[in-house]
Amino acid sequence: MITEEHHGQTLHFCCRGCQGVYHLLEDEGLGNFYEKLGDTKLNPPSAQQGDLEKFDLEGFEKRYVTVHDDGLHEINLIIEGIHCSACVWLNEKVLHKLEGVMEATINYTNNKAKVIWDPEEVKLSKIIETIRSIGYNAYPYDPKLQEERAVKTRKSYYMRILVAVFGSMNIMWLAVAHYAGYFGGIEQSFKDILNVAEFILATPVLFYSGWIFFRGAFYGYKNKTVNMDTLVASGALSAYLYSIYAMVTQRGEVYFDSVTMIITFVLVGKYLEVLSKKHAVDTLDHIIGSTPTEVTTIKESVKSLVSIDNVIIGDIIELKPGERVVIDGILTRGAASFDESSLTGESEPVYKEQGDEILSGSICLDSTIHYEATKDASSSLLTSIAHLLEESITKKPRIEQLANTISGYFSTVILIIALLTFAGWFYATGDFEQALIIGISVIVIACPCALGLATPMASLVGISMSAKRNILFKEATFLETMAKSRLLALDKTGTITEGRPSVLTEKILEPFDFNLLYALVNTSSHPVSKGILSRLKSKHKKLQNYELEDIKTIQAKGVKASFQGKKLTGGNASFMHSAGIVVEEQSEHTLFYFAIDDRLVARYELSDTIKEEAKEAIRMIKQMGIRVVMLTGDHEQSAKKVADAIGISEYYARLLPDEKAKKIDELHQAGEIVVMAGDGINDTIALASSDIAIAMGNGADVAISVSDVVLLDESPMSLYESYRLSRRTFQAVKENLTFSLLYNVIAVPLAVAGFVNPLVAALSMSLSSLVVVGNSMRIKTLKFKKEK
Amino acid sequence: MSEGIVIVMIGVSTLLGALGLIGLLWGIKTGQFDDQSKFIDGARFDGEDALRDAVMMEEKKRKRQEKKKKDEKAYGPPD
Repeated sequence: MITEEHHGQTLHFCCRGCQGVYHLLEDEGLGNFYEKLGDTKLNPPSAQQGDLEKFDLEGFEKRYVTVHDDGLHEINLIIEGIHCSACVWLNEKVLHKLEGVMEATINYTNNKAKVIWDPEEVKLSKIIETIRSIGYNAYPYDPKLQEERAVKTRKSYYMRILVAVFGSMNIMWLAVAHYAGYFGGIEQSFKDILNVAEFILATPVLFYSGWIFFRGAFYGYKNKTVNMDTLVASGALSAYLYSIYAMVTQRGEVYFDSVTMIITFVLVGKYLEVLSKKHAVDTLDHIIGSTPTEVTTIKESVKSLVSIDNVIIGDIIELKPGERVVIDGILTRGAASFDESSLTGESEPVYKEQGDEILSGSICLDSTIHYEATKDASSSLLTSIAHLLEESITKKPRIEQLANTISGYFSTVILIIALLTFAGWFYATGDFEQALIIGISVIVIACPCALGLATPMASLVGISMSAKRNILFKEATFLETMAKSRLLALDKTGTITEGRPSVLTEKILEPFDFNLLYALVNTSSHPVSKGILSRLKSKHKKLQNYELEDIKTIQAKGVKASFQGKKLTGGNASFMHSAGIVVEEQSEHTLFYFAIDDRLVARYELSDTIKEEAKEAIRMIKQMGIRVVMLTGDHEQSAKKVADAIGISEYYARLLPDEKAKKIDELHQAGEIVVMAGDGINDTIALASSDIAIAMGNGADVAISVSDVVLLDESPMSLYESYRLSRRTFQAVKENLTFSLLYNVIAVPLAVAGFVNPLVAALSMSLSSLVVVGNSMRIKTLKFKKEK
Repeated sequence: MSEGIVIVMIGVSTLLGALGLIGLLWGIKTGQFDDQSKFIDGARFDGEDALRDAVMMEEKKRKRQEKKKKDEKAYGPPD
C-alpha cells in the first residue's frame, strides 16, 4: 500500500502503476473517471512492454492500416482490459485529447476500436503508448478477416428476414379475409382490393428477401446444376406471375400468400445456417495473422527489427521467451525449451541446445536464444504448411447431397410435365389462356413448401438439438454427409487423451506445507508444473502463494527457490541427482519430485490421461458399424497403449502433419467417406482434406476454422452423439422427401387434369407443410443413453 | 362498407407498419444495434463534458482542413 498527500487529501494506492495512472488522469483533467467507475474494481496496469517501435514499421502498416484519400490513417484495434462503460469513456476521452487523433470510437460489446489519425501529427506507436499508459492494452486486428465478413452477411440476411416476416404476416391477415370470402361469397371489387394489397406486400418479399434464391439459382445455372434455389426461385416466381395474371384478368385465385410463405420459411432456415457459416479461405488469413511480421536480427552486435521477408540464410536471429519461430534455423547460443505442439500435437516441451534444429511454428518458452537462419521465410516449415493447407482446402471433397439431387431431378421433371400439360390442353381445347393457367398451376402445386422445407426443416431441428448438446454443425449439409460416413479417424493427443499431463499417483514421504509446493510450481509454465498445480488446487481449498526468493528455472529439469531460509527443489530425477538426492525412478510415466532442504518429501507420477468415457464412446460408435482409425504424431509405444486402452485395433503412429493428410487421402481412394476428429495445428491439413472435420472446442484456432463441426465440451461422447444426431436427421430428411414426393404423385395428376380449385390448393399446401414440420420435430424425441 | 374505407384501412395500416420496418432497417444498416450498451451509456455520460468533447473533435478536423488548404496554397502556383 502506498499513501500520498495530494491537495490536502490522503490517497491510497495498491501499487505504483495505479498511482501513475491516477496522476496521469488528474493532470489531463479526467479525474471524474473514478466517479464514473462506480463499484467496478480495476486491475493494476501491467508493466510496459518494449515493442512499441514495431507499430511504425512498414510491414505492420501495410497489413493493418488503411489510408484514406485525404491522407488520414485508420486502424482497427482490440482494446484489452475493458470491463465497464467507464473504461470505454476513458479510452475514448484520452484518445480524443491526443493531438492528431481525428476519430476514436470504441464498441463496448466486443472491445473493438476504430481510430483515425493524422500520420503527420502523431505516430501509431504514440497512440498505442497512450492506451497502454492508462493501463489498457491494444493490439491490431485485420477487419478483412472472416469475422467481419460473417457479421456483414448475417446483417444482410437479418434485414431480408425482417422484410419477409413483415410481408408474410400482413398477407396472412389479408388472406384470412380472402378465404372467408371464398366460402361466404365476396364481391369482385373487394377481392380486387385484397389482391392488389397482397401484390404490393409480396413484391418486396419476393425480390428483396428472395434475392438470395435468385442469385443461387443463377449460380446453379452457370454451373449447369439444378439446385434447391432453382426450385424455390422458379416455384415462387411462377406462383407470383400466375397470381398477377389471375389478379389482372380477375379469373381464378391468387397465391401471393404462398409466395411469401415459401420465401420466409426457407430463408429462415438458410439464415440459421449462415449464423455459423465458415469461410475456408479465412483459415489462411488466420495462420498468417498469427505469425509475427518481423524478427530481431543481430548483425555485428547491433540488434535491429527486420521484416521476415528480408531475412537471408545465415542471419543471426534473436528469439525471446514467448515468441513464435517463423524462420527455420539452427541454435547457436543459449538453450531453451520449445513448445512444438503445433507441429507434433505433443504438449511436452522439447529442450534444445546449441546445434539443434529449430522449426518454425514452435514457440520459445523460457529463455532468450540466438539462432542462425537456415531457410528464408518463404521456404520455412510454417509457410509450407500454410501452402499445403491452401491446397487441401480447395481440393476438399464435396459429397453430393441427397436432397439437392432429388430436387434437381424433380424440378426438371415438373417443368417438363408442366410444358406437356400446357401443350396437351392447348391442343385439346384450343384455348390458350386456360392451357396456360393449368400449366402454371402444375408448377405452383408441385413446387410448394413440402419439398422446399423437407431438408431445411429437419436440419434446423437437428442443428438446434446438437447445439443444445454442445455440438456445433457449421452447415446443415454436414449432418447429411456425416450420416453417410462409415469411417472415423481420430487424433490421439487432445482428442482421445486430455492433451496435458495430470497426476496419476501422489506419494507423500514426509508431511510438509503444501503452500510451498504450490508457490514453487506456480513459478513455472511447464505442463508438468501445471498438472501438479491443478492437482493441488483440486485437493486443497485454501492455498497461499508465498513470495519465493532466488527462483531459478533449469531447462528441462526443474525449479529451485528458497523461502524463509528453506531450500525448495522440484523437478525430475536427474535434477534430484545433481542436488545429491537419491530417488527411485522406476516408472513408465513422467516423474516429479519435491524436496525441502535436500530431503525428499513428495513424489508425483504424471501421465497424459485418456478422457473420461472415451472407451465407452468408441465402443458405441463401433456398434453403429463405423470403422475407427487412430492417427497420431506420437511414437508407436504410447500409440499402442492408448489404442489398446480404448479398444481401437487400427492405428498409425509417428505421422507428420502432411502424412496424416495422405492417410486420409488413401482412405478416400478406398471409397470411404471420412470423418476426422482432431484439435491441433498438426491435424489441420488432415482435417481440411477429410469430408467432415471435427475440432475440439479449445483446440488451435486454425483447426477450428477448417473444421465443419466443433465439439464444445471436447468429450468423446459428443462424437457418438453427433453421429446419432446426424443419422436421425438424415432419416427425417428422407422421410420428408418421400412424403412430399408422394404428395406430388397425387397432387400433380390432379393439376394436370385441371381439377385444381383454390380450396384443394390451399388445403394441400398448408397440410403438406405441416406434415413436414411435424415430422421434423420428431427428431427432438431422440434419446441418448445417459439421459434420465 | 364501401371499397374506399377498406382501401384506406389497409393502406394506412400497411404504410404505418412499413414505416416502422424502414426505421428498423435503417437502424441496422447504420450500425445502431452493434453495441447494445452504447445507448444507455450515452444517456449516462451525457452532459456538458460530452458536448465539449464533440466540439473539440470538430475543431481538430476543421484545423486540419485549414492547414491542408494552406499547405496546398503554399505549394501551388501564385494567384
